[in-house]
Amino acid sequence: MIKADHITKVFGKNEVLKGISTTVEKGEVVTIIGPSGSGKSTFLRCLNLLEEPTSGQIYINDEEITSPRVNKMEIRKSIGMVFQHFHLFPHMTALENVMYAPQKVKGMSKKEAEQIGKNLLARVGMTDKETAYPNRLSGGQKQRVAIARALAMEPEIMLFDEPTSALDPEMVKEVLDVMKGLAETGMTMVIVTHEMNFAKEVADKILFLDDGVLLEETEPNTFFTNPSTERAQSFLEKVL
Amino acid sequence: MNLDFSQIVPYIPFILEGIGATLKFVSVSILAGFILGTILAIFKITGFWPLKVFADVYTSIFRGTPLILQLMIIYLAVPQLTGYDISAFLSAVLAFGLNSAAYVSEIIRAGIMAVDKGQTEAAKALGVPYRAMMLNIILPQAFKNILPALMNEFITLTKESALVSTIGYLDLMRRAQIAGADIYRNFEPLFFAGVIYWVMVTILTLAGRYVERRMRQSD
Repeated sequence: MIKADHITKVFGKNEVLKGISTTVEKGEVVTIIGPSGSGKSTFLRCLNLLEEPTSGQIYINDEEITSPRVNKMEIRKSIGMVFQHFHLFPHMTALENVMYAPQKVKGMSKKEAEQIGKNLLARVGMTDKETAYPNRLSGGQKQRVAIARALAMEPEIMLFDEPTSALDPEMVKEVLDVMKGLAETGMTMVIVTHEMNFAKEVADKILFLDDGVLLEETEPNTFFTNPSTERAQSFLEKVL
Repeated sequence: MNLDFSQIVPYIPFILEGIGATLKFVSVSILAGFILGTILAIFKITGFWPLKVFADVYTSIFRGTPLILQLMIIYLAVPQLTGYDISAFLSAVLAFGLNSAAYVSEIIRAGIMAVDKGQTEAAKALGVPYRAMMLNIILPQAFKNILPALMNEFITLTKESALVSTIGYLDLMRRAQIAGADIYRNFEPLFFAGVIYWVMVTILTLAGRYVERRMRQSD
């Protein structure tokens, strides 16, 4: 479903990604792990072209999205993204946040969008906050609304960029539970996270990045019990 | 003390008519300046450099020369070049509208830049087209933040509008001067006009606060 082929990204003189190749199958849950500054988020952001790779190709369903002829907006319609800092639209209620893209991007009627919005907010357990503005919500609630907002476009792929890193500890679980539920529905998910237990439990595959290089690409059991590189071993010693 | 407000009583209707004249061209100028200023602000933040250069040069010229000079050029010098006999009203609207646009564009540009970059990213990630993103996501947030600065600009424009008295437009200021010349007394009509300007600005200020409160509903 996703194929990345020798992706590099250079910011000024700083080579953040040094040729990353991987594939993600349909329905697969992939978590990207690694130390800060390893390029995890940059790689994730390349997948929906929020960052443009300096070189290399990315294919979604065999279509090369890194081709200059491609319409980025079309590509992004089928890829949802959840950010570390939520980025909800502060001047819209929770429900309006979820309804906005289906109406404006897909041209859906207000009634239809409202139905979808209400269903999705119910799915993330936010029915009682439909009319609340974002700054009335806790971090965990905001992130759940943000997930509902991304799902409203009925994406084929969901990208999560450290979705729980900005949350108070007691709110992490409610967001991870929503993500687990989503994984169980067979959604293709790519998740940058520091939540090792979540990765162990939910991921089909772990990517370990360090200094812009993909050091390990393996299933969670092997990665957490018997990582093949020394770098991954020392990383795990520190975080587990 | 030589003060006699009863002297201006016969002129009160004449001076009051100036309120309408002033409000008419001030409101058209504010509207024109606001629309043009928004367009210029968007020019300034696009990646397309000719538009950016145009907007920057425009701002530099209109902020870098006196408003009264711009007014004179439009009213006196343009007819000399084109032969078109421009009216005082049109000159006033053009000068104040074009001038205000330069200031408004800077205010709006700053407001847009101050909106969290994550908002743009969230909109992009949802596949929202640029126009809709600007109109529905970025500008509403920008306007909320810059409302006090915008109100300030509108108030300045309302007061500076008295400059049009120099081209013979019968606004509040001009009428006060005419009344003064007629009765050989200046304090009373000027004081009267001053009170009216103050009341207009106060109403504008209160209206601004009201809009601000309405927009802060999501806080």
